[in-house]
Amino acid sequence: MTIPWRCGLFALSLIVLAPAVWHVIVALPAFGNPTEQYGAAVNLLLPGARHVTNMVAAVNFDVRGFDTLGEECMLVCAVTGTVVLLRGTRGENMSEGAGRLPGRAIVGRSDATVLVCRAAATLTLLFGVYMALHGMLTPGGGFQGGAIAGSSLMLLYLGEGYEAWRRIVRGRMLGALEGGGAFLFVAAAAVPLLLGHSSLENILPYGAPKDLFSGGLTVIVNFAVGLSVAGSFGLLLLEFMEETRSAASDSMPGEED
Amino acid sequence: MHLLPWLTAAWLFAVGVYGIITSRHYIHLIGCLTVCQSATYLLLLSIGYSWNAGPPIFYDHPPGTAAVDPVMQALVLTDIVVGAAVTALLLVIALQVHKRRGTLDPQALRPLRPDQ
Amino acid sequence: MNLAAALLPVPVLLPLGVAAALLVVSHWLPSPVSTVLAIATALAVAVICAFLAHAALQGPVLQWFGGWTPASSHRPGVVLGISFLADPISAAIAAFVGVLFAAALTFAWGYSQEHSHFEILMLLFLAAMAGFCLTHDLFNLFVWFELMSVAAFALTAYPLGKSSLEGAFNFTIINGLGSFMMLAGVGFLYARTGTLDFTQMGRAVTGIGSDAVLSAGFCLVAAALLTKAAIVPFHMWLSDAHAVAPSPVSVIFSGAMVSVALFALGKIAVQVFVHDDAVMTVARSLFVWLGAATALIGGAMAWAQRHLKRLLAFSTIAHLGIMLVGAAAVAPPAMAGFVLYLFGHGLVKASLFMVAGILLALRASGDEIVLYGKGRDLWPAGIAMSIAGLLLGGLPVGLLHTAADRLEASKPFVSAVIILATALTGAAVLRAAARIFATVSGAPGPEITAPTEREREKDDRPLWLMLLPCFALLVLAFVPGSLVLPFVERAIPALLDPFGHAAAVPAPEERAIESYAPIVLTVCLFALASVRQRATRPLSRTIFKAETLAFRGLQFLHSGLVGDYVVWMIVGLAALALALGAA
Repeated sequence: MTIPWRCGLFALSLIVLAPAVWHVIVALPAFGNPTEQYGAAVNLLLPGARHVTNMVAAVNFDVRGFDTLGEECMLVCAVTGTVVLLRGTRGENMSEGAGRLPGRAIVGRSDATVLVCRAAATLTLLFGVYMALHGMLTPGGGFQGGAIAGSSLMLLYLGEGYEAWRRIVRGRMLGALEGGGAFLFVAAAAVPLLLGHSSLENILPYGAPKDLFSGGLTVIVNFAVGLSVAGSFGLLLLEFMEETRSAASDSMPGEED
Repeated sequence: MHLLPWLTAAWLFAVGVYGIITSRHYIHLIGCLTVCQSATYLLLLSIGYSWNAGPPIFYDHPPGTAAVDPVMQALVLTDIVVGAAVTALLLVIALQVHKRRGTLDPQALRPLRPDQ
Repeated sequence: MNLAAALLPVPVLLPLGVAAALLVVSHWLPSPVSTVLAIATALAVAVICAFLAHAALQGPVLQWFGGWTPASSHRPGVVLGISFLADPISAAIAAFVGVLFAAALTFAWGYSQEHSHFEILMLLFLAAMAGFCLTHDLFNLFVWFELMSVAAFALTAYPLGKSSLEGAFNFTIINGLGSFMMLAGVGFLYARTGTLDFTQMGRAVTGIGSDAVLSAGFCLVAAALLTKAAIVPFHMWLSDAHAVAPSPVSVIFSGAMVSVALFALGKIAVQVFVHDDAVMTVARSLFVWLGAATALIGGAMAWAQRHLKRLLAFSTIAHLGIMLVGAAAVAPPAMAGFVLYLFGHGLVKASLFMVAGILLALRASGDEIVLYGKGRDLWPAGIAMSIAGLLLGGLPVGLLHTAADRLEASKPFVSAVIILATALTGAAVLRAAARIFATVSGAPGPEITAPTEREREKDDRPLWLMLLPCFALLVLAFVPGSLVLPFVERAIPALLDPFGHAAAVPAPEERAIESYAPIVLTVCLFALASVRQRATRPLSRTIFKAETLAFRGLQFLHSGLVGDYVVWMIVGLAALALALGAA
């Protein structure tokens, strides 16, 4: 189908859908006056039940912790898929030279860039770790902190250059970090099961409210998620960066063209 | 006025789908998919919103202060991770397609061609 | 907590744990070890789920994660936690998935290049499907749905060929849109019912009755699950994805993934929406027509294909349409037929994809016309393909036949469509088998202009290792339906109402005449294809031109362009909305 035909069909469908959408919007509970009791119950019960102050993290890692396990494994799966698809023809080792576009000059790195990036990368990494550790208390948590820590690797590359960066950041270490985080989360779900409780049940002491280590098992789960997300984003970054290098030979198995 | 969040979510979804339908570049298409996803974020967060309520963080306020629905926020967090995962995969596929076909025009790319 | 309840999360936790561990140690582990580990995990999942299915016959097996039982909320009617609930049929389907994965991983021995990434992706896929069957919470269902999808996207693009990548791209975009729709549907349902647990939601819906927001929620969730189950007009991604995915992965896609999505839709409809009249009316009427249309289009397109995997993909679509017709009746005997069909079709289709994989590996092509006569010394595979084709076409033995008997359609027109679709798919497989293995063929018909590709798969395992899982699955498909039917019929009431105490489904009276129509029609169509001559006379030329035009129109609709697919999805959404609005 050509694009105009598609737009015509789309317009027809929208004409049918528009009154339905309006009908549903009008029938929804009024904006700002939700009727659900689930969230209200969580807000009232969880601070006392688990001694945490961040309700979103409590929902994510305790009440609906099993969802988060699935979500964590989904990120691992996506990054593994990315790695497989990018590495598939290239191989895993570091490529020799930088990719070069003909006619484009190579500009060296200025000292200001190196200095600022070194400072910024360190601070960003620290901030990511802070964000992840305080997940139970203030806005943040494993996902957010891990993503920030992962992005500090990008600043590190900007400051150090590719070869030096690859010496510090290794694919195997990041892969182990990613898998180790996911495994720790699965273990946190399995150990209570082995001890006779339900899976992912909070069997550790809860600690005092507003304390760094409050929340019992959620601290471990949070930590595991932080490790895994940092490893995942780092690995993603590494594989995409490798794509900018010149390819040795790009043979494609299974093609007979 | 109170219907605006829902209307915006519906509009975002429609615009995203329109972008996908008329797209001539894979990367643009992936961006349009992200727009569709933002519609779901807006919808979910609006469902949980409550007037004059703060975030469900009780570090500075005592537990029991009015707060919005944390369950919806947790759902949106999961949604964001889903979006990141799918976008990463799509970008990788687009990269590899570009290497092999040299083009990223959805109108020209189809799996399996008729044997002439 | 008794053993069954304690074992309930294990079918999900075990594959996840093994996959995570493999990710850490994969650099140091030799490749066969990870494959053996993966196969062992799949078998363990199958055994545990079979045990759960058996235990669930006495009553539902239930576990609340984190200890968040309904009592812990201190509020009546508010449920805070996520639960896994195993009723016999869900657990049996999860066990079936485990068996299929074990067979597919055995077939894929040596497929992984290095670092066992293939096994990791397959294990995550297995965990997601087990969780998808066992969960009792709507958002948890969405999470496993997403994990299933992401693993499927990565596995489809795994061969890194041009077609694989483009097929994976189409697959990802369409299913990505589907999952956003599902998320919006979950939001709507939460907004109206205030809970995400199936039982609580069902109670809330019973209190509310028909409501626009509930209808919208169902519409969106159904659109997403129908996309995954490849029902017209959401079906177009499947032919691209299954045709280009590696054969072991296509085994899982067609054998389990699509039917499990349909099963989940049925579960949601009967456990949550059973008292919502608008939704149930649409389920009983529109879904029957959609299923019939899917069966017809799938069957016709399967007949007009030459690329084996694309042919099998379209036949999957056709059979899913037949299953939807059966499930849409929402009556216990039809549901028993649906479950049996799920098993029977899954086994037969899985073995057919394995045969296609054997041909791709050993004869370097998947095209039936290119492969003409080249399968002569692979005669065991030919026997497997012919038997599978006959089973698909309605051979009166085994699970598939008993299931088809139970899937009685209320309107004769729909029955006729089912018989035609069955015959078309069975005859298409037989025609391909005859061409490849027996050099029996008429002149090529509409399939000559079908899309195809030159491709091959890695051929680093012996033929007997590839044939072993293929024949094992076929043997399972021959299990007489009368052995499995009592279990299924005892289990249907538990599916309809997990906490109720409904009586078992009464066995329907024995049919005087068993339905031989499909197999007869299959053999006739196959005979017609085998003796077909080139069109020389004017009458045959006119018929040939009309046939070409019709099939070319169908092929044009299935263009392979992602924008077309998205438009058809929106059209389908509009149709669903229209039907729900009118109800």
